[in-house]
Amino acid sequence: MRKLIVNAKGFSSVIGTTFMVLVMLILASSVFLWTLSQNTEYFQTVKEKNQLEVDRLNERLSAENVTYTGSGGKISIEIDVRNACPLFVNLTTLWVFDANVGNYGINDTLNIGLKPGETLSLRGSKAINVIINGSDASHIFNSWFITARGNAIPLKENIIVAQVAQGIGSIAMDLKQFRYYIVQNNNDGTDIGTPYYSFTLDGNKYTLLCVTLVNLDPSHQTINLTKYSYIWAVTPFAETLKSDTWAIRKVVNNKLASFDFQILEYGKPTTVYFGATQASRSQGNVVPLFILLFGKIGNADYGQNIPFIAIHVT
Amino acid sequence: MNLKKVRKLLHERCAISAVISNVILAGAVITVSFVVLFWAQYRSSAYNEQYSEAVNADIAKLKERLAFEYVFYDKANLTVYLLNCGTIDNVTVQTVYIYFSSNGTLVKVFSSPTLKQFNDAQIADQDLDEGEEGYFVLSPLSLETGVSYSVRVITGRGSKFDYTFIA
Repeated sequence: MRKLIVNAKGFSSVIGTTFMVLVMLILASSVFLWTLSQNTEYFQTVKEKNQLEVDRLNERLSAENVTYTGSGGKISIEIDVRNACPLFVNLTTLWVFDANVGNYGINDTLNIGLKPGETLSLRGSKAINVIINGSDASHIFNSWFITARGNAIPLKENIIVAQVAQGIGSIAMDLKQFRYYIVQNNNDGTDIGTPYYSFTLDGNKYTLLCVTLVNLDPSHQTINLTKYSYIWAVTPFAETLKSDTWAIRKVVNNKLASFDFQILEYGKPTTVYFGATQASRSQGNVVPLFILLFGKIGNADYGQNIPFIAIHVT
Repeated sequence: MNLKKVRKLLHERCAISAVISNVILAGAVITVSFVVLFWAQYRSSAYNEQYSEAVNADIAKLKERLAFEYVFYDKANLTVYLLNCGTIDNVTVQTVYIYFSSNGTLVKVFSSPTLKQFNDAQIADQDLDEGEEGYFVLSPLSLETGVSYSVRVITGRGSKFDYTFIA
């Protein structure tokens, strides 16, 4: 030190080095602390997002015993709602889709809060009203609540439907929606024209049968129908078995198309086509029709036979 | 007396040069050091700002979440109903992709569709705040009925949300 004071030749180097060290220390510490605070904020957000996702996945709500009343486009929905999760659930919107008219209605002014374990019976004056043009209570509806966390909660049919589904099969058919088309031939790309809502059809012409199916599987699994699904007719009083079959078919943009698979989502009315076939063997008879449905439910095989209508083949 | 000393110093200049040079050198080093300090501080604050912007953008993106309430196709119009169920306001819809869900082939791309409220009134700020619902219509769009499609919504912050539907 004494030498440095006596001979000041290295003084500037000392100052320079000191400054350099200071600069490095200041910069490194400020950048380190800043980065640390930013990272903390980021990980806090990730944590919050994960918590939100967990809450969203844990949201459990049952909406059961739904009944639809009303007419002239004003539909009233009565339902029992139960919060079956340990979280507060807020219902924001009710969607109602009328499969018959292909239209839907929304009520987005619900703001119904449900504490953990709370049950609400939305009946009478508390029923939820939705406007759907051309709708009637006798139609097929598919409805769901939207929660504030973004989950869709389907409205379940009452217990009788569930029991029927368990007893005779998960796929139901709407009898009123049965219709057929007369097509020129059975080739892909053939226009199917307009439907005939009738139970009398011409056995000399190619007919494409059309049914509306609803998957009411109690476990809410999707059903995937394969090409081994048919509608078939069998002639009574015949000495030998006389039958006509309509194989499952796709219709794309109102034209016949090759069939690959047909998905039936839970609760969603789906139009399914069969044919086109000339029902020549059944001509002159009134014959029963059966829908043979075969495919997969989840990962398991699924098979169901629905005896549904009778047709008069001329 | 002092005058005598100054005169002596002026006559014998050997020591003057050493003092002056040391002063100049020290001054130069200090000046350069301060310049380096300020420059480095400026650079590091610029880096901090960029890093902060990047992290904040990522945080905002993480907070975004859109739920598809319903997707409805009818007569060349695809209506997509959305709910902002995230924890951040001002979620804009930048781009919407429609593609076949079976093979991922792109069908059509739409940019900045007009957002409307469920009562059909146009949303003034064209964004969805926290808890806000809205919809947009994509048209014209020719989809094959009975075929499965996917819709991908890209927000202004770059988040993407997918939904599959059957036309």
